Amino acid sequence: MLKMMRKAVLALGIALAAQGALAAEVVKVGMSGQYFPFTFVKKDVLQGFEVDIWNEIGKRNDYQVEFVTSNFSGLFGLLESGRIDTISNQITITDERKAKYLFSNPYVVDGAQVVTRKGSDIKGIEDLAGKTVAVNLGSNYEQLLRAYDKDNKINIKTYDTGIEQELMLGRIDAFVMDRVSSMALIKEHNLPFVHAGAAFETIENAWPLLNNEKGKRLQTEINKALAAMKADGALKAISEKWFDGDITSH
Amino acid sequence: MIRIRNLVKTFNGTPVLNGIDLDIAEGEIIVVIGPSGTGKSTLLRCINLLEQPDQGVIEIDGDAVDVGHASKKDVLKLRRNTSFVFQNYALFANKTALQNIAEGLITVWNKPRREALAEARSILADIGLADKENSYPAALSGGQQQRVGIGRAMASHSKVMLFDEPTSALDPEWVDEVLQLMKRLAERKQTMVVVTHEMSFARDVADRVLFMEGGRIVEQGPPQKIFAEPDDPRTQAFLRKVLRR
Amino acid sequence: MNFDLSYFIELIPLLLRYLGITMQMALLGLVFALLLAVVMAVVRVFRVPLLDWLVQLYISFFRGTPLLVQLFLLYYGLPQMFPPLVGIDAFTAAVIGLSLHFSAYMAESIRAAIIGIDRSQMEAALSIGQSPLMAMRRIILPQAARIALPSLMNQFVDMIKSTSLAFTLGVAELMARAQMEASSSFKFFESFLAVALIYWVVVVLFTRLQLRLETKLNRAYQR
Ligand SMILES: Nc1ncnc2c1ncn2[C@@H]1O[C@H](COP(=O)(O)OP(=O)(O)O)[C@@H](O)[C@H]1O
Ligand SMILES: [Mg+2]
Repeated sequence: MLKMMRKAVLALGIALAAQGALAAEVVKVGMSGQYFPFTFVKKDVLQGFEVDIWNEIGKRNDYQVEFVTSNFSGLFGLLESGRIDTISNQITITDERKAKYLFSNPYVVDGAQVVTRKGSDIKGIEDLAGKTVAVNLGSNYEQLLRAYDKDNKINIKTYDTGIEQELMLGRIDAFVMDRVSSMALIKEHNLPFVHAGAAFETIENAWPLLNNEKGKRLQTEINKALAAMKADGALKAISEKWFDGDITSH
Repeated sequence: MIRIRNLVKTFNGTPVLNGIDLDIAEGEIIVVIGPSGTGKSTLLRCINLLEQPDQGVIEIDGDAVDVGHASKKDVLKLRRNTSFVFQNYALFANKTALQNIAEGLITVWNKPRREALAEARSILADIGLADKENSYPAALSGGQQQRVGIGRAMASHSKVMLFDEPTSALDPEWVDEVLQLMKRLAERKQTMVVVTHEMSFARDVADRVLFMEGGRIVEQGPPQKIFAEPDDPRTQAFLRKVLRR
Repeated sequence: MNFDLSYFIELIPLLLRYLGITMQMALLGLVFALLLAVVMAVVRVFRVPLLDWLVQLYISFFRGTPLLVQLFLLYYGLPQMFPPLVGIDAFTAAVIGLSLHFSAYMAESIRAAIIGIDRSQMEAALSIGQSPLMAMRRIILPQAARIALPSLMNQFVDMIKSTSLAFTLGVAELMARAQMEASSSFKFFESFLAVALIYWVVVVLFTRLQLRLETKLNRAYQR
């Protein structure tokens, strides 16, 4: 009798598990596959920071995550027409987008970052007076710096390329670049640079979702998984795998 | 057999056929002569509705069609009862001599392919081109092309064959073989209406000669009469001119 | 210059796996575009009332707007208006888009070819009792095909190359893979040279086919 009951419970358990497996919800995540090291293809394998995070979320939320690659210009169309559930491609939260889509909590914090050599006395943007600081041509960091540097104490230089070479050689004391790219750069080339202080003018990147029933539900579920990943260090670990540091918080 | 009544055609308001009446008996050979630009081609083309007449009635074997308002069915019927030989041959350039002749048999008369090809072969033999069955028009001489053109017209076994200056585009060396073929058809009592400048053909073969000018049949009669003693001064003037050269 | 030959050589078989999907799009596109184009060319030549006007509008639109815009309209725009259309997958949408776009050009090539055929060919076909449509099918179109072939081939080659736009709809075709590989390896030259060579070889092969076809179609015109 006991044996029979045990069998029955086992069978029920298997059935439930099977149902659970069947019920694994398909979540389609769009990305460009062209933004190293976030989402890229190497030897025919799609991989990167975004892919790792989503595989983790999938595991935790019991999603069957499907990655859909498309040129960046097509991603919002795919979302809009309901062909994907979200975009995981470093989408920055802006007022315009917020008016239209739901956003998850941010999973990447980016911003203008002062970068110096290791051992430099520059500890942040407030120490730049009297120093030579480079920015890349075409970025808006020059305006940002000038807006901050009201009495023209910073010697700002604009470069087309080779900004890191200049810092290495000591021709400049620091440069300003977006935080995440600079981290990737430092990691990729193993450069003897450090971030001086926190990023200023920060921006936050998150996953946009359609503003409907499903979007709302996914938003809640994803935020829950994200919070758990933040809490147990999984998110940080993924960040450190791809970057020289944690890009997922301030 | 064929009665044409009050056939009228204008081009942009200019009258080209001014009410033609014409009866064609079975087996009759009619030759139409006249200066150029007087509507001879237009007459032939109106009979098989390649040109849409303004008004008129064409009756074949008692079956009358108001050609001013012909339905699609009427048009097809008229075209199936007539066949046409073009001045420039107009052979189907994408088809061999054999296929040119068989085309109508297969697609219009719905004959089985094999039967159609056999019939086309016998026509080719009849017109003396059995050895050219696989030649495309571009590989044939002008005379051969026009004979295939006549063969194609023969294949439809039409009540009347219409010839629009069948030898005018030919080099002189090929004219005779085409006229000989037409003569043989005439001997078999194939009804035909032939527009031509070949006066000797008209004299030798025609049962009746029509002289057209200004979109009208000015005079008609047996060739002996028309060529020897035409009544109308316009006919006289025309014949004087063409026979002198 | 440091050309990474081994990367280049490894990449080619990797990319070739996606040539299939590119060619499927192009060939399906060709079939549908040709069918549409022939119908539209005939409608225009016969000046079919109303339809002729619609076809002119169609041709004007599909020639007058970029293919990418048409693909976006079809794949992203229409489903907003007609929700069931979301069911169309990216591949199908790309094939439809390519067919519609290139049919407009092909229709004009075919129409021009038909007009170039001597009027007497049609008259001869009518004179033996064929209907205008049958004459078109049996006599005129086969001859027009020969004249239109070079320009149709140009459009087909253009279509092969345009399949790369399908990546914007999310179709992982040849160009998509090259772009994605390049953006991780940063070996842009090697990646895009590899993909260029693949397209080129395909186009050269089709050009050969065209020459053969031309010889065949020209057979009737040799003296
Ligand atoms: N399609 C057409 N459009 C306008 N005028 C035409 C057309 N066909 C013939 N014509 C005119 O009709 C007249 C008769 O032409 P046609 O029947 O070819 O004369 P013929 O065969 O006796 O030389 C000519 O003045 C010619 O210019
Ligand atoms: Mg004439």
